[in-house]
Amino acid sequence: MNARFDELKNIGQRLIRPQTPAIAVGMGTCGIGNGADQLFEAFRTTIAERNLDIQLRQVGCLGYCADEPLVNIYFPGKPLLVLHKVVKRDVTAIFKGIEKGTLPKRLVLCKISKWDHLSTVVEYGEGYPDIPEWNEVPFFKRQMKLIMRDAGLIDPSSISEYIAVGGYAALLKAVRTMTPEAVVEEVKDAKLRGRGGAGFSTGIKWELLRKAPGEKKYIICNADEGDPGAYMNRNEIESDPHMLIEGMMIGAYAMGAQEGIIYIRAEYPLAVERLTNAVKQATELGLIGSVIPGSDFSFTLSVVKGAGAFVCGEETSLMSSIEGYAGRARPRPPFPAQKGYLGCPTNINNVETWCNVPVVIGKGSAWYKATGTEKSPGTKVFSLVGKVKNTGLVELPLGEPLSTLVYEIGGGAAGKEKRIKAVQSGGPSGGCIPADKFSTPVDYESLAEIGAIMGSGGMVVLDQDNCMVDTARYFIEFTKNESCGKCVPCREGLAQELELLDKVVNGKATQEELTLMESLANSIGDTALCGFGQTAPNPVLTTLKYFRNEYEEHILRQHCSAGVCEALFDALCVNSCPMHMNIPAYLELLKENRLEEAFESTIRDNPLPGTIGRICHFHCQMRCRRETVDTPVHQGEIHRYLADTIYKMGSEQKIYETLMTEKKPATGKKVAIVGAGPAGLAAAFYLVRLGHDVIVYDANPKAGGVLRYGIPAYRLPREVLDKELELYKALGVKFRFNKRLGTDIHLEYLEKEFDAVFLAIGAYEHMDLPIPGTEYKGVIQGTVLLDTLERKSRVSVGKKAVIIGGGNVAIDAARSLWRVGTDVTVVYRRSRDAMPANKLEIEEAVAEGINFEFFTAPLSIKADAKGKVIALEVMEMTGGTFDTSGRRKPIETGKTRDIACDNVIIATGERVDSGLLEREKIVTTKWGTVCVEPYRYKTNRERVYAAGDMVSGPSTAAEAMGLAREAASFIDFELMGVKRFDQLFKTFDYSHEPPTEIVMTKQIEPRHLSVASRRGNFQEINRGYMGDQARLEATRCLRCDIRLSARG
Amino acid sequence: MEATKSPYFDTVAYDAIIDACNDSPGRLLTVLEEAQKITPHQYLPEPVLRHIAKRLDVPLSRIYSIVTFYSFFNLKPQGDHTITVCRGTACHTRGSKMLLDDVLLRLGIKPKEGETGSFTSEDMRFTVKTVACFGQCALAPVIAIDEVIYSNVTSEKLETLLKKLASRKVKS
Repeated sequence: MNARFDELKNIGQRLIRPQTPAIAVGMGTCGIGNGADQLFEAFRTTIAERNLDIQLRQVGCLGYCADEPLVNIYFPGKPLLVLHKVVKRDVTAIFKGIEKGTLPKRLVLCKISKWDHLSTVVEYGEGYPDIPEWNEVPFFKRQMKLIMRDAGLIDPSSISEYIAVGGYAALLKAVRTMTPEAVVEEVKDAKLRGRGGAGFSTGIKWELLRKAPGEKKYIICNADEGDPGAYMNRNEIESDPHMLIEGMMIGAYAMGAQEGIIYIRAEYPLAVERLTNAVKQATELGLIGSVIPGSDFSFTLSVVKGAGAFVCGEETSLMSSIEGYAGRARPRPPFPAQKGYLGCPTNINNVETWCNVPVVIGKGSAWYKATGTEKSPGTKVFSLVGKVKNTGLVELPLGEPLSTLVYEIGGGAAGKEKRIKAVQSGGPSGGCIPADKFSTPVDYESLAEIGAIMGSGGMVVLDQDNCMVDTARYFIEFTKNESCGKCVPCREGLAQELELLDKVVNGKATQEELTLMESLANSIGDTALCGFGQTAPNPVLTTLKYFRNEYEEHILRQHCSAGVCEALFDALCVNSCPMHMNIPAYLELLKENRLEEAFESTIRDNPLPGTIGRICHFHCQMRCRRETVDTPVHQGEIHRYLADTIYKMGSEQKIYETLMTEKKPATGKKVAIVGAGPAGLAAAFYLVRLGHDVIVYDANPKAGGVLRYGIPAYRLPREVLDKELELYKALGVKFRFNKRLGTDIHLEYLEKEFDAVFLAIGAYEHMDLPIPGTEYKGVIQGTVLLDTLERKSRVSVGKKAVIIGGGNVAIDAARSLWRVGTDVTVVYRRSRDAMPANKLEIEEAVAEGINFEFFTAPLSIKADAKGKVIALEVMEMTGGTFDTSGRRKPIETGKTRDIACDNVIIATGERVDSGLLEREKIVTTKWGTVCVEPYRYKTNRERVYAAGDMVSGPSTAAEAMGLAREAASFIDFELMGVKRFDQLFKTFDYSHEPPTEIVMTKQIEPRHLSVASRRGNFQEINRGYMGDQARLEATRCLRCDIRLSARG
Repeated sequence: MEATKSPYFDTVAYDAIIDACNDSPGRLLTVLEEAQKITPHQYLPEPVLRHIAKRLDVPLSRIYSIVTFYSFFNLKPQGDHTITVCRGTACHTRGSKMLLDDVLLRLGIKPKEGETGSFTSEDMRFTVKTVACFGQCALAPVIAIDEVIYSNVTSEKLETLLKKLASRKVKS
């Protein structure tokens, strides 16, 4: 065997670094699913046809699945080039590139100058200074390849290549130079822990079998990788099957087992094929099935295919399955080491655990322990999937924080405008970890501490479009179906749990049932027979722990913010709109040319359709199904068009009259609303129509709140707002201006005079900026600046202003000052992408030529002897590691400088005036917002309600209006004792046919005022749609509100 | 060993499978998997189960327990083409439930009350199945059509795939 071994090694080395140019295609299931097999065929045909002297072979998968198919190109003596996202039509260019010696830039991902296979280093060569080394690519940068040491670089069907990179050397070392006890000791000393998830010490488990009495002993590899969302074992086998065999053989030698079994899922046909082939090769070489020369060790190995039962991943079920029974769990003890397969002492380890063994033996336990943490040495392969940009297999030293995995390697959220909400770790036995816990190190103990588990290493990233209740329901449905049925808690408990979850997702559950769900989950966990049942309730328990608000939203509000639970909404856009505007209705009515009805539909849902149509963040667009075709429908621009057109034609009066005539008879109830901003106005609109006597108090001389005193006129012309406020007069809402809560009026008085008081004073207090010099002359708060501009139509500023901040106020202030002729610079301590301001506003500001300085943090404000601002001292920052908000933490570089200026505008955020609330005896949260009963908007004071920014913290006008609308509904119910709110709405009759043909036009851009004509005035920039534009835009709607039920 | 004669079907091919598996671990599962593969319409008819039980000297009840326990086995004939929709977690988060509904709708299959996991069209042309996970999570959502895996499937991509499939000849 020895001579043959060396011969294969030589062959392998020549295959890995041939004398000719070489092409290797990554052919894991992932790559093949993305066309790698066709690519391989195309390379093969061309080489054959043109009789080229180019080597072609298949390799495993490097793990960068998002960029599949991957192709390696090698020129003798040069670094290996890794090409990504290669498609068939690139083949010609690649051959041309090989001829010329340079490859198309867009295809090249990185180079590999040398690769450490751990027992052997392959030196490919030097060169290509412009191409990044593989470990400079963000996806690979933090990775450490112990398990995936050969994956993507050797041909998994070739034993010679495995031997050439040092394969089977550890086995030969063990059987020839070490006693079995010494091998066990080494593994124990390395503190290797089970990679299947539970993390039990592998060495101790081995010792148990080693010491177990009995002639015949078995070792089993658990390759029944059933966790949905986890596929590292598949790739480990597909890319490097001999690594598993070698690990098992070392284990067998150490434990004194003669026979091994690999139990692998049938859903992995390629892995089965490559593994079977590898076993055959090892047998032919004389490693398996005969005594290895230089030792007295011999071993046989068979591969058994599972038949699709998740529970067989549990070790006792797995053994039942191999024995030819249904995979049902058995009680432990006896443990497999005492009584396992066919009653013989047995050891079962996960694929990845076995794969660690050759490293531990080859490099020694001391070397191994240098990686990872004290308690959890080594690495773990994670499958990073779901809503993350860079999906794939990631091998990280244990103990790295989750943020490294999700943001640094994963590149953050997959969707541009999306926010990552949680990571589901460990499959159906695991838990959901919220984003604010992403600083948790990934190791067995830390994950268990927060209620999740490492499990097999599946990390499914969830964003705001994933509903946590639905996620929990998904897992319980899965485990309920996969329960073996042997013990009652698991069989019946999970079925009952699912029933309760079904009620929640259908909006039919009660708060009591939520408690019941929690106690049932705990009981199942405490009493189930095997690990499967004991961990099955984890998804419910962790989502209840971290996302209870989502459950409550489903129960109390019959609403699923994520837009997943189908029973709770018709169209995604309506569901996402804070005011639930019936978007399909007004789009269709516009298409049918029924403009007045279309407008009436919008105004019933939103009393300020022209205003909000201009300034909204357009939550509707974030979930428009049209996006799967091209770009979302601009629903907001359309309701703005409707409002503008109706007001121009003067036909709004007719609709106002309709609303006036259908006003409910006077109820005799008096309602005070404090604050005439978006929330106050929304509540007033509904409450007055319900027949209540509504009086709105506001500290300002006019109504509108932030709409008037915060949003610049170039975004919202005041005529539009004034026009829309006419409706309030017509409906009989009374305003009391210049009345400030806490100064001119007090809650005690309002409570006495009114049947209900609705607080809607927003969040107008500015955040303090803790730097020296904020008291100097020339320092202005952003909100104060905008307010002054509105009141006095002018503001006294110097020639040059620096604005601190990255939110909408900062941008509004910058663009306003630019309009009055000031030279403006915006400084922000993070990157442009991290700015919380509306993206469109930032783009417009850049287009207007406003100067931005990113990664620049304010240090102090400097003034002259008279106390007048002369400069802002700043520190240059750099992006550090990711924080839990998914943005890079700004880190000081130590480099400071002064930006000369006459004014410093501070726009670093707003907050609720909690001092005022305290004085008025309103209980607040630790964030300073008002404490209200969830979805009931009741404060601690009898008859006093609150909604909008003062409850939610700073948000958008539409969101504040949406909450106020709900509050109004509840206030009316409390006042009248019956539900009357729905009577304020009207169903319009319009077509319910989905479009037969998709109009292939991307979102239509409304006309915009040119940048040149913006300086020196506050004219509106967005001129709105023309009639034909609005109609065409409306026809882009796919009408996904019409459900074509397959189950109908 | 002489093949057991059965009045319903030719046992030769099944006996070959049984003989090939001799006494290796996991024999019963392997035999049943292989037997299903060679049966037209990929299922395990009762006579086949009876035959295997007899040949392996295993009670029929145990075989029935196995074929009803594991999702891989079918007791009903399958369509000419099988479309498998992955219902793994990554696929679920990327909308595989909708994709499953879409496949059924486009193929005109109306699941009967209580039917889950596997649906066959009345003309026996298509079977739509779900799988717990293909392990293709990075490219979610994925579906397989006659064991060929397609990744990042959208409603539009699905339409093209199914049209292509419908125009294909029935496999012999």
